[in-house]
Amino acid sequence: MIDVKGLVKAFGDHVVLDGIDEHIYPGEKVVIIGPSGGGKSTFLRCLNMLETPTRGTITFKGVDITDPRSDINKHRQKMGMVFQHFNLFPHMTIMRNLTLAPMRLLKKSKSEAEAKAMELLERVGLADRAASYPGQLSGGQKQRVAIVRALCMEPEVMLFDEPTSALDPEMVGEVLDVMKSLADDGMTMVVVTHEMGFAKEVGDRILFMDGGVIAEQAPPAEFFDNPKTDRAQAFLAKVLM
Amino acid sequence: MNVTGLYEAISAIPVAEQSAWQNFFVKFYRAWFLNSRWQQYFEGLLATLEVTVMALAIGVVLGVVVAMVRTAHAQRRPGTHNPVLSFFDFIFKIYVTVIRGTPMMVQLLIMGFVVFSSSRNFTLVGALTLGINSGAYVSEIIRGGLMSLDPGQAEAGRSLGLGYIDTMRFIVIPQAFKAILPSLGNEFIVLLKDTSLISVIGGKEIVYFAQAIVSRTYEAMFPYIITAIMYLILVMGFSYLQSILERRLRESDRR
Repeated sequence: MIDVKGLVKAFGDHVVLDGIDEHIYPGEKVVIIGPSGGGKSTFLRCLNMLETPTRGTITFKGVDITDPRSDINKHRQKMGMVFQHFNLFPHMTIMRNLTLAPMRLLKKSKSEAEAKAMELLERVGLADRAASYPGQLSGGQKQRVAIVRALCMEPEVMLFDEPTSALDPEMVGEVLDVMKSLADDGMTMVVVTHEMGFAKEVGDRILFMDGGVIAEQAPPAEFFDNPKTDRAQAFLAKVLM
Repeated sequence: MNVTGLYEAISAIPVAEQSAWQNFFVKFYRAWFLNSRWQQYFEGLLATLEVTVMALAIGVVLGVVVAMVRTAHAQRRPGTHNPVLSFFDFIFKIYVTVIRGTPMMVQLLIMGFVVFSSSRNFTLVGALTLGINSGAYVSEIIRGGLMSLDPGQAEAGRSLGLGYIDTMRFIVIPQAFKAILPSLGNEFIVLLKDTSLISVIGGKEIVYFAQAIVSRTYEAMFPYIITAIMYLILVMGFSYLQSILERRLRESDRR
């Protein structure tokens, strides 16, 4: 579904991604873990061109989206993104947050867009907050709304950039539950996270990133029980204790 | 006895024998009532408002255009190069530097006596100069507002597939507008008061008429105090409108 070839991203002289080749298949749940500064978030942000790659190509459903002539806005509609800091629009109600893009881009009527948004809000247990503003919600609620906002565009793949890292510990569970149910529905997901439990339970494949490259990849059972590289062993020793 | 009758009675008394209050009254009468002079203040007030509105319109349009171009240039995709954008960014940078680096009064003198030296419409030239001046400050205020917004907001918009224009229109500008409203209001108050400067090139606003009355009555106190009060009332009225607007925009925060 997403094919990455020779991806390099440098900020000035600082090389963050140093040649990545990877393929993400439909329905796959890929979990990216690794130490800070290893390039996890940058890799994820390159997938929907929030960061422009320095070199290399990213092909989404057969179209090279790194080509400046491709209409990136069209492709982004099919790739939902969830941010660490939620990035809900604070000046709009939850309902308006959810319906803005579907009404502008999918040309849905207000009632159509609201019906869809309401259905998804009910799924995450926040139907009663439709008229609230983001400032009135807890962190966990905000992130659930942010996931719904991405889902309202009916994406084919969902990108999660450390979705639970900014949350209080007691709110992590509610967000992970939403992500798990999304995974059960067969959504293609790429998740950058520090939640090892989630990676083990939901991931089809773990990508361990360090130093701007994918240092190791394996199915979760294999990766967590028997990491092959020294770097992965050292990382797991630290996070799993 | 009406006011005019009172004035005639008192002014018949020799100045040396007038009480302090009588003297005060005579001066005020000459500055305000005599020959229907109050009409001149209001004529000047009207011109002041006209100049302010014209300069405001020019300033806002210029400021928005300059800020948009300069922000777009600063946030262009790395590696891309747009010569038209770079050219205008360069021109606008010079514009802001020159306007902010020279006194308002000097700009007026140059526009009034050099650039438009053949024009007789001093008020219009004044309004134009003020508008150009205000545009530079407004553009910096808007640019600051656009740049200060969390980049995550624009990213969230773009990640949904919204284009640059839609993201600006629905997400960035509404939030930036709320953030810059206090400084924008302040700039408008400065602009309103700066209209008094156009009297130096012969623009006919309040100060111009006040000076004319002073030169006819040889009495400075009342005409200038009346002028000051008129500005004060205008600014207070404007501040009140601004506070209402700010309160209404704040309603979406922290409810």
